[in-house]
Amino acid sequence: MKVADAVKQIIGLAVVGGACFVIGYAVNITYFYDRTPVQPIEFSHKIHAGDNQIPCKYCHLYVERSRVSGVPNVQRCMGCHKIIKTDSPLIQKLTAYWDNKEPIPWVKVHNLPDYVRFTHKRHIKAGLQCQECHGDVASMSRITKVSSLKMGWCLSCHEKKSVKNGKDCWTCHK
Amino acid sequence: MSVLKSIGGKLKSYRTGGNQETADHRWGMVVDLDRCNGCEACVVACYAENNLPVVGEADCAVSRAFSWIRIERYVEGEYPNVKTGFIPIMCQQCGKAPCETGCPVYATYHNQDGLNVQVYNRCVGTFTCATYCPYDVRRFNWRSYKPQAPLDEQLNPDVSVREMGVMEKCTFCIQRIVAAKDKAKDENRAVKDGDVRPACVQSCPPGALVFGDLNDPASEVSKLAKSPRRYRLLEELNADPSVIYLKRVADEGKNE
Repeated sequence: MKVADAVKQIIGLAVVGGACFVIGYAVNITYFYDRTPVQPIEFSHKIHAGDNQIPCKYCHLYVERSRVSGVPNVQRCMGCHKIIKTDSPLIQKLTAYWDNKEPIPWVKVHNLPDYVRFTHKRHIKAGLQCQECHGDVASMSRITKVSSLKMGWCLSCHEKKSVKNGKDCWTCHK
Repeated sequence: MSVLKSIGGKLKSYRTGGNQETADHRWGMVVDLDRCNGCEACVVACYAENNLPVVGEADCAVSRAFSWIRIERYVEGEYPNVKTGFIPIMCQQCGKAPCETGCPVYATYHNQDGLNVQVYNRCVGTFTCATYCPYDVRRFNWRSYKPQAPLDEQLNPDVSVREMGVMEKCTFCIQRIVAAKDKAKDENRAVKDGDVRPACVQSCPPGALVFGDLNDPASEVSKLAKSPRRYRLLEELNADPSVIYLKRVADEGKNE
Protein backbone atom coordinates (compact mmCIF):
# COMPACT_ATOMS: atom_id res chain seq x y z
CA MET A 1 0.00 0.00 0.00
CA LYS A 2 2.77 2.36 0.98
CA VAL A 3 4.72 1.62 -2.20
CA ALA A 4 1.67 2.41 -4.33
CA ASP A 5 1.30 5.72 -2.52
CA ALA A 6 4.91 6.58 -3.16
CA VAL A 7 4.51 5.74 -6.84
CA LYS A 8 1.41 7.91 -7.03
CA GLN A 9 3.26 10.73 -5.35
CA ILE A 10 6.16 10.49 -7.80
CA ILE A 11 3.83 10.41 -10.81
CA GLY A 12 1.90 13.38 -9.44
CA LEU A 13 5.09 15.36 -8.92
CA ALA A 14 6.29 14.50 -12.42
CA VAL A 15 2.99 15.60 -13.98
CA VAL A 16 2.86 18.87 -12.04
CA GLY A 17 6.54 19.54 -12.69
CA GLY A 18 6.17 18.84 -16.39
CA ALA A 19 3.12 21.12 -16.64
CA CYS A 20 4.98 23.90 -14.82
CA PHE A 21 7.94 23.49 -17.15
CA VAL A 22 5.80 23.68 -20.28
CA ILE A 23 3.84 26.71 -19.04
CA GLY A 24 7.00 28.46 -17.89
CA TYR A 25 8.69 27.81 -21.21
CA ALA A 26 5.72 29.17 -23.15
CA VAL A 27 5.45 32.26 -20.95
CA ASN A 28 9.15 32.88 -21.27
CA ILE A 29 9.07 32.61 -25.05
CA THR A 30 5.98 34.80 -25.48
CA TYR A 31 6.49 37.53 -22.89
CA PHE A 32 10.13 37.69 -21.90
CA TYR A 33 11.86 37.00 -25.18
CA ASP A 34 11.95 39.80 -27.68
CA ARG A 35 12.34 38.65 -31.25
CA THR A 36 11.85 42.15 -32.59
CA PRO A 37 13.69 44.51 -30.25
CA VAL A 38 13.20 48.27 -30.51
CA GLN A 39 16.22 49.89 -32.11
CA PRO A 40 17.68 53.28 -31.15
CA ILE A 41 16.72 54.62 -34.57
CA GLU A 42 13.66 53.23 -36.33
CA PHE A 43 15.69 52.02 -39.27
CA SER A 44 13.55 50.27 -41.84
CA HIS A 45 14.99 47.49 -43.97
CA LYS A 46 11.74 47.63 -45.94
CA ILE A 47 12.53 51.12 -47.23
CA HIS A 48 16.22 50.43 -47.90
CA ALA A 49 16.38 46.82 -49.09
CA GLY A 50 12.78 46.53 -50.22
CA ASP A 51 11.60 49.71 -51.86
CA ASN A 52 14.96 51.09 -52.89
CA GLN A 53 16.57 47.75 -53.75
CA ILE A 54 19.90 48.39 -52.03
CA PRO A 55 21.79 45.06 -52.03
CA CYS A 56 22.60 43.58 -48.59
CA LYS A 57 26.33 43.67 -49.26
CA TYR A 58 26.34 47.41 -49.82
CA CYS A 59 26.02 47.97 -46.07
CA HIS A 60 26.96 44.58 -44.59
CA LEU A 61 30.17 44.65 -46.51
CA TYR A 62 32.31 42.12 -44.66
CA VAL A 63 29.95 39.24 -45.22
CA GLU A 64 32.03 37.65 -47.98
CA ARG A 65 35.38 37.88 -46.27
CA SER A 66 34.78 37.76 -42.55
CA ARG A 67 33.17 35.88 -39.75
CA VAL A 68 30.72 38.70 -39.13
CA SER A 69 28.66 40.46 -41.75
CA GLY A 70 29.38 43.82 -40.17
CA VAL A 71 27.01 46.46 -38.94
CA PRO A 72 27.66 49.51 -41.11
CA ASN A 73 29.35 52.43 -39.45
CA VAL A 74 27.70 55.85 -39.19
CA GLN A 75 29.86 57.09 -42.03
CA ARG A 76 28.20 54.65 -44.41
CA CYS A 77 24.77 55.92 -43.40
CA MET A 78 25.91 59.51 -43.78
CA GLY A 79 27.34 58.76 -47.21
CA CYS A 80 23.78 58.92 -48.52
CA HIS A 81 21.98 60.81 -45.80
CA LYS A 82 24.06 63.94 -46.07
CA ILE A 83 21.83 64.76 -49.00
CA ILE A 84 18.89 62.35 -48.85
CA LYS A 85 15.87 63.20 -46.69
CA THR A 86 17.77 65.49 -44.33
CA ASP A 87 14.53 67.07 -43.13
CA SER A 88 13.18 63.84 -41.61
CA PRO A 89 13.38 63.69 -37.80
CA LEU A 90 14.86 60.19 -37.91
CA ILE A 91 17.68 61.34 -40.15
CA GLN A 92 18.28 64.26 -37.83
CA LYS A 93 18.66 61.69 -35.03
CA LEU A 94 21.29 59.98 -37.17
CA THR A 95 23.00 63.28 -37.87
CA ALA A 96 23.16 63.92 -34.14
CA TYR A 97 25.11 60.68 -33.68
CA TRP A 98 27.37 61.73 -36.55
CA ASP A 99 27.96 65.19 -35.07
CA ASN A 100 28.68 63.77 -31.61
CA LYS A 101 31.04 61.21 -33.18
CA GLU A 102 29.22 58.39 -31.42
CA PRO A 103 28.36 54.94 -32.77
CA ILE A 104 24.70 54.03 -32.90
CA PRO A 105 23.93 51.51 -30.12
CA TRP A 106 22.06 49.01 -32.32
CA VAL A 107 20.45 46.10 -30.48
CA LYS A 108 21.71 42.75 -31.70
CA VAL A 109 18.91 40.54 -32.95
CA HIS A 110 20.75 37.47 -34.21
CA ASN A 111 22.95 36.67 -31.26
CA LEU A 112 24.92 33.45 -30.96
CA PRO A 113 26.34 32.14 -27.70
CA ASP A 114 29.99 32.57 -26.88
CA TYR A 115 30.88 28.94 -27.56
CA VAL A 116 29.78 28.95 -31.19
CA ARG A 117 32.16 29.56 -34.04
CA PHE A 118 30.01 30.75 -36.91
CA THR A 119 31.45 32.26 -40.08
CA HIS A 120 29.30 34.22 -42.50
CA LYS A 121 32.03 33.92 -45.14
CA ARG A 122 31.87 30.14 -45.35
CA HIS A 123 28.09 30.13 -45.70
CA ILE A 124 27.96 32.87 -48.31
CA LYS A 125 30.70 31.19 -50.32
CA ALA A 126 28.73 27.95 -50.20
CA GLY A 127 26.02 29.80 -52.10
CA LEU A 128 23.52 30.45 -49.33
CA GLN A 129 21.25 33.42 -49.70
CA CYS A 130 20.93 35.83 -46.76
CA GLN A 131 17.17 35.26 -46.78
CA GLU A 132 17.51 31.55 -46.02
CA CYS A 133 18.45 32.29 -42.41
CA HIS A 134 17.41 35.91 -41.89
CA GLY A 135 14.00 35.66 -43.55
CA ASP A 136 12.54 38.15 -45.96
CA VAL A 137 14.37 41.16 -44.55
CA ALA A 138 13.27 43.35 -47.44
CA SER A 139 9.69 43.30 -46.14
CA MET A 140 10.51 43.93 -42.46
CA SER A 141 10.23 47.46 -41.18
CA ARG A 142 11.86 46.31 -37.94
CA ILE A 143 14.15 43.27 -37.97
CA THR A 144 12.67 40.10 -36.54
CA LYS A 145 14.53 36.93 -35.69
CA VAL A 146 12.95 34.37 -37.98
CA SER A 147 15.13 31.32 -37.37
CA SER A 148 15.64 29.80 -33.96
CA LEU A 149 19.46 29.70 -34.39
CA LYS A 150 19.48 26.61 -32.20
CA MET A 151 21.83 23.68 -32.72
CA GLY A 152 19.11 21.44 -34.09
CA TRP A 153 18.25 24.07 -36.67
CA CYS A 154 21.90 24.33 -37.76
CA LEU A 155 22.33 20.56 -37.92
CA SER A 156 19.15 19.95 -39.91
CA CYS A 157 20.54 22.14 -42.69
CA HIS A 158 24.03 20.63 -42.45
CA GLU A 159 22.50 17.21 -42.74
CA LYS A 160 20.21 18.14 -45.61
CA LYS A 161 23.07 19.62 -47.63
CA SER A 162 25.48 16.87 -46.47
CA VAL A 163 28.18 19.29 -45.40
CA LYS A 164 31.61 17.69 -45.07
CA ASN A 165 32.37 17.20 -41.36
CA GLY A 166 29.18 19.18 -40.77
CA LYS A 167 28.24 17.13 -37.75
CA ASP A 168 31.59 17.20 -36.00
CA CYS A 169 31.26 19.17 -32.75
CA TRP A 170 34.41 21.21 -33.30
CA THR A 171 33.30 22.42 -36.71
CA CYS A 172 30.97 24.88 -35.02
CA HIS A 173 31.90 24.85 -31.34
CA LYS A 174 34.98 26.28 -29.79
CA MET B 1 14.81 -5.09 -30.30
CA SER B 2 16.68 -4.51 -33.53
CA VAL B 3 16.57 -0.76 -32.89
CA LEU B 4 18.09 -1.27 -29.46
CA LYS B 5 20.73 -3.51 -30.98
CA SER B 6 21.66 -0.98 -33.65
CA ILE B 7 21.91 1.77 -31.03
CA GLY B 8 24.03 -0.49 -28.86
CA GLY B 9 26.25 -1.33 -31.80
CA LYS B 10 26.75 2.35 -32.57
CA LEU B 11 27.61 3.14 -28.97
CA LYS B 12 30.03 0.23 -28.90
CA SER B 13 31.74 1.39 -32.07
CA TYR B 14 31.96 4.81 -30.49
CA ARG B 15 33.73 3.44 -27.47
CA THR B 16 36.23 1.52 -29.58
CA GLY B 17 39.39 3.48 -30.13
CA GLY B 18 39.88 4.96 -33.56
CA ASN B 19 36.23 4.62 -34.52
CA GLN B 20 36.52 7.11 -37.37
CA GLU B 21 36.35 5.22 -40.63
CA THR B 22 37.91 7.95 -42.70
CA ALA B 23 40.51 10.39 -41.50
CA ASP B 24 41.35 13.67 -43.17
CA HIS B 25 44.54 14.17 -41.22
CA ARG B 26 46.46 12.71 -38.37
CA TRP B 27 47.86 15.71 -36.58
CA GLY B 28 50.96 14.87 -34.65
CA MET B 29 53.87 16.43 -32.90
CA VAL B 30 57.54 15.58 -32.65
CA VAL B 31 59.40 16.69 -29.54
CA ASP B 32 63.17 16.74 -29.92
CA LEU B 33 64.45 16.32 -26.38
CA ASP B 34 67.98 17.18 -27.49
CA ARG B 35 66.77 20.69 -28.20
CA CYS B 36 64.46 21.23 -25.24
CA ASN B 37 66.17 23.33 -22.59
CA GLY B 38 63.21 23.58 -20.25
CA CYS B 39 62.55 27.29 -20.66
CA GLU B 40 58.76 26.81 -20.36
CA ALA B 41 57.99 29.29 -23.12
CA CYS B 42 55.53 26.72 -24.46
CA VAL B 43 53.69 26.70 -21.14
CA VAL B 44 53.35 30.47 -21.13
CA ALA B 45 52.24 30.52 -24.76
CA CYS B 46 49.64 27.88 -24.04
CA TYR B 47 48.27 29.86 -21.12
CA ALA B 48 47.90 32.93 -23.32
CA GLU B 49 46.47 31.18 -26.36
CA ASN B 50 43.94 28.93 -24.72
CA ASN B 51 42.50 31.23 -22.02
CA LEU B 52 43.87 29.10 -19.23
CA PRO B 53 43.16 30.46 -15.77
CA VAL B 54 45.90 31.18 -13.29
CA VAL B 55 44.66 29.20 -10.34
CA GLY B 56 46.93 30.59 -7.68
CA GLU B 57 49.19 29.17 -5.06
CA ALA B 58 46.58 27.56 -2.82
CA ASP B 59 45.02 25.53 -5.63
CA CYS B 60 48.40 24.52 -7.00
CA ALA B 61 49.30 23.18 -3.57
CA VAL B 62 46.42 20.69 -3.78
CA SER B 63 47.47 19.54 -7.29
CA ARG B 64 45.05 21.65 -9.24
CA ALA B 65 47.71 23.32 -11.38
CA PHE B 66 46.24 24.13 -14.73
CA SER B 67 48.85 23.99 -17.49
CA TRP B 68 47.84 21.95 -20.53
CA ILE B 69 51.51 21.41 -21.28
CA ARG B 70 54.00 20.87 -18.51
CA ILE B 71 57.75 20.42 -18.36
CA GLU B 72 58.92 17.49 -16.33
CA ARG B 73 62.44 17.56 -15.04
CA TYR B 74 64.72 14.59 -14.63
CA VAL B 75 67.98 14.65 -12.73
CA GLU B 76 70.25 11.75 -13.46
CA GLY B 77 73.45 10.76 -11.76
CA GLU B 78 74.99 11.90 -8.52
CA TYR B 79 76.65 15.16 -7.73
CA PRO B 80 79.01 16.35 -9.25
CA ASN B 81 78.23 14.21 -12.31
CA VAL B 82 74.68 15.42 -12.75
CA LYS B 83 72.65 15.60 -15.94
CA THR B 84 69.31 17.34 -16.09
CA GLY B 85 66.79 16.46 -18.72
CA PHE B 86 63.49 18.09 -19.56
CA ILE B 87 60.49 16.57 -21.16
CA PRO B 88 57.43 18.58 -22.20
CA ILE B 89 54.24 16.59 -21.76
CA MET B 90 50.97 17.64 -23.34
CA CYS B 91 47.91 15.61 -24.33
CA GLN B 92 49.27 12.81 -26.47
CA GLN B 93 46.13 12.76 -28.67
CA CYS B 94 46.11 8.96 -28.53
CA GLY B 95 44.80 7.10 -31.54
CA LYS B 96 43.23 4.57 -29.19
CA ALA B 97 42.60 6.90 -26.30
CA PRO B 98 41.78 5.33 -22.95
CA CYS B 99 39.92 8.48 -21.86
CA GLU B 100 37.38 8.14 -24.66
CA THR B 101 36.22 4.76 -23.47
CA GLY B 102 35.13 6.05 -20.09
CA CYS B 103 33.09 9.16 -20.69
CA PRO B 104 29.41 8.49 -19.89
CA VAL B 105 28.16 11.42 -21.96
CA TYR B 106 30.50 11.09 -24.97
CA ALA B 107 32.05 14.47 -24.30
CA THR B 108 35.43 13.25 -25.48
CA TYR B 109 35.68 11.56 -28.83
CA HIS B 110 37.95 11.11 -31.79
CA ASN B 111 37.32 13.36 -34.74
CA GLN B 112 38.19 13.02 -38.39
CA ASP B 113 41.49 14.85 -37.93
CA GLY B 114 42.88 12.21 -35.60
CA LEU B 115 42.39 14.54 -32.67
CA ASN B 116 41.09 13.45 -29.34
CA VAL B 117 38.74 16.35 -28.70
CA GLN B 118 36.75 17.45 -25.69
CA VAL B 119 33.29 18.97 -26.01
CA TYR B 120 32.96 21.42 -23.14
CA ASN B 121 29.23 21.89 -23.50
CA ARG B 122 28.63 18.20 -23.15
CA CYS B 123 30.98 17.55 -20.27
CA VAL B 124 29.32 16.94 -16.91
CA GLY B 125 32.53 16.61 -14.96
CA THR B 126 32.58 12.99 -13.85
CA PHE B 127 36.39 13.04 -13.86
CA THR B 128 36.44 9.57 -15.46
CA CYS B 129 38.63 10.61 -18.38
CA ALA B 130 41.24 12.12 -16.07
CA THR B 131 41.29 8.92 -14.08
CA TYR B 132 41.76 6.85 -17.21
CA CYS B 133 44.45 9.06 -18.72
CA PRO B 134 47.87 7.46 -18.26
CA TYR B 135 49.71 10.70 -19.01
CA ASP B 136 47.93 12.91 -16.44
CA VAL B 137 47.26 15.74 -18.85
CA ARG B 138 43.59 16.41 -18.29
CA ARG B 139 42.71 19.43 -16.21
CA PHE B 140 39.54 20.03 -14.27
CA ASN B 141 37.87 23.36 -13.57
CA TRP B 142 37.35 23.15 -9.84
CA ARG B 143 35.96 26.67 -9.85
CA SER B 144 34.84 29.24 -12.39
CA TYR B 145 38.13 31.05 -12.55
CA LYS B 146 37.58 34.68 -13.45
CA PRO B 147 40.52 36.40 -15.10
CA GLN B 148 41.70 39.34 -13.04
CA ALA B 149 41.37 42.91 -14.18
CA PRO B 150 43.90 43.49 -16.96
CA LEU B 151 44.03 39.83 -17.99
CA ASP B 152 40.40 39.62 -19.10
CA GLU B 153 41.23 41.88 -22.01
CA GLN B 154 43.75 39.47 -23.49
CA LEU B 155 41.39 36.49 -23.72
CA ASN B 156 41.46 34.73 -27.04
CA PRO B 157 38.08 35.18 -28.76
CA ASP B 158 38.57 31.96 -30.71
CA VAL B 159 38.58 29.88 -27.54
CA SER B 160 35.71 29.70 -25.11
CA VAL B 161 36.22 30.37 -21.43
CA ARG B 162 35.41 27.19 -19.59
CA GLU B 163 33.39 27.16 -16.42
CA MET B 164 33.28 25.17 -13.25
CA GLY B 165 32.85 21.42 -13.55
CA VAL B 166 34.32 21.01 -17.01
CA MET B 167 37.26 18.85 -17.95
CA GLU B 168 39.69 20.20 -20.49
CA LYS B 169 43.03 19.42 -22.04
CA CYS B 170 45.42 20.29 -24.84
CA THR B 171 43.56 20.54 -28.14
CA PHE B 172 46.64 20.91 -30.37
CA CYS B 173 45.31 24.47 -30.77
CA ILE B 174 42.31 23.30 -32.75
CA GLN B 175 41.27 26.92 -33.34
CA ARG B 176 44.44 27.38 -35.38
CA ILE B 177 43.80 24.16 -37.28
CA VAL B 178 40.31 25.37 -38.11
CA ALA B 179 41.66 28.77 -39.16
CA ALA B 180 44.29 27.16 -41.41
CA LYS B 181 41.67 24.94 -43.00
CA ASP B 182 39.44 27.95 -43.52
CA LYS B 183 42.24 29.84 -45.26
CA ALA B 184 43.16 26.83 -47.38
CA LYS B 185 39.55 26.46 -48.45
CA ASP B 186 39.46 30.10 -49.51
CA GLU B 187 42.57 29.59 -51.59
CA ASN B 188 41.13 26.35 -52.97
CA ARG B 189 43.95 24.08 -51.87
CA ALA B 190 44.64 21.45 -49.26
CA VAL B 191 46.22 22.34 -45.95
CA LYS B 192 49.94 22.14 -46.48
CA ASP B 193 52.77 21.39 -44.10
CA GLY B 194 53.63 24.37 -41.92
CA ASP B 195 50.21 26.02 -42.17
CA VAL B 196 49.29 25.03 -38.66
CA ARG B 197 51.50 25.90 -35.75
CA PRO B 198 50.14 25.54 -32.24
CA ALA B 199 51.12 28.18 -29.73
CA CYS B 200 53.74 25.99 -28.06
CA VAL B 201 55.40 25.15 -31.37
CA GLN B 202 55.39 28.75 -32.45
CA SER B 203 56.98 29.96 -29.23
CA CYS B 204 59.63 27.27 -28.75
CA PRO B 205 62.97 29.15 -29.02
CA PRO B 206 65.21 26.15 -29.80
CA GLY B 207 62.60 24.64 -32.16
CA ALA B 208 62.22 21.47 -30.17
CA LEU B 209 58.57 21.06 -31.08
CA VAL B 210 57.46 20.31 -34.63
CA PHE B 211 53.84 19.98 -35.65
CA GLY B 212 52.28 18.52 -38.76
CA ASP B 213 50.26 15.82 -40.44
CA LEU B 214 51.55 12.30 -39.80
CA ASN B 215 49.46 10.98 -42.71
CA ASP B 216 51.40 13.12 -45.16
CA PRO B 217 54.71 11.34 -45.86
CA ALA B 218 56.35 14.56 -47.08
CA SER B 219 55.69 16.56 -43.94
CA GLU B 220 58.46 17.45 -41.54
CA VAL B 221 56.97 15.48 -38.67
CA SER B 222 56.73 12.33 -40.76
CA LYS B 223 60.40 12.62 -41.65
CA LEU B 224 61.43 13.27 -38.07
CA ALA B 225 59.20 10.48 -36.85
CA LYS B 226 61.37 7.97 -38.74
CA SER B 227 64.41 8.97 -36.68
CA PRO B 228 66.16 6.12 -34.84
CA ARG B 229 65.87 8.18 -31.67
CA ARG B 230 62.09 7.99 -31.71
CA TYR B 231 60.00 6.70 -28.86
CA ARG B 232 56.57 7.33 -27.49
CA LEU B 233 55.54 7.66 -23.89
CA LEU B 234 54.30 4.47 -22.20
CA GLU B 235 54.17 2.67 -25.50
CA GLU B 236 53.44 -0.64 -23.75
CA LEU B 237 49.94 0.63 -22.97
CA ASN B 238 49.19 0.53 -26.69
CA ALA B 239 47.32 3.84 -26.65
CA ASP B 240 48.92 4.85 -29.96
CA PRO B 241 49.90 8.45 -29.05
CA SER B 242 50.35 11.07 -31.77
CA VAL B 243 53.21 12.77 -29.95
CA ILE B 244 56.60 11.32 -30.79
CA TYR B 245 59.63 12.04 -28.64
CA LEU B 246 63.21 11.96 -29.92
CA LYS B 247 65.54 10.60 -27.30
CA ARG B 248 68.12 12.86 -25.68
CA VAL B 249 71.59 11.79 -26.81
CA ALA B 250 73.47 15.09 -26.83
CA ASP B 251 75.52 14.50 -23.71
CA GLU B 252 75.74 10.77 -23.88
CA GLY B 253 79.23 9.60 -23.01
CA LYS B 254 80.33 12.98 -21.71
CA ASN B 255 80.07 12.55 -17.98
CA GLU B 256 81.34 9.02 -17.74
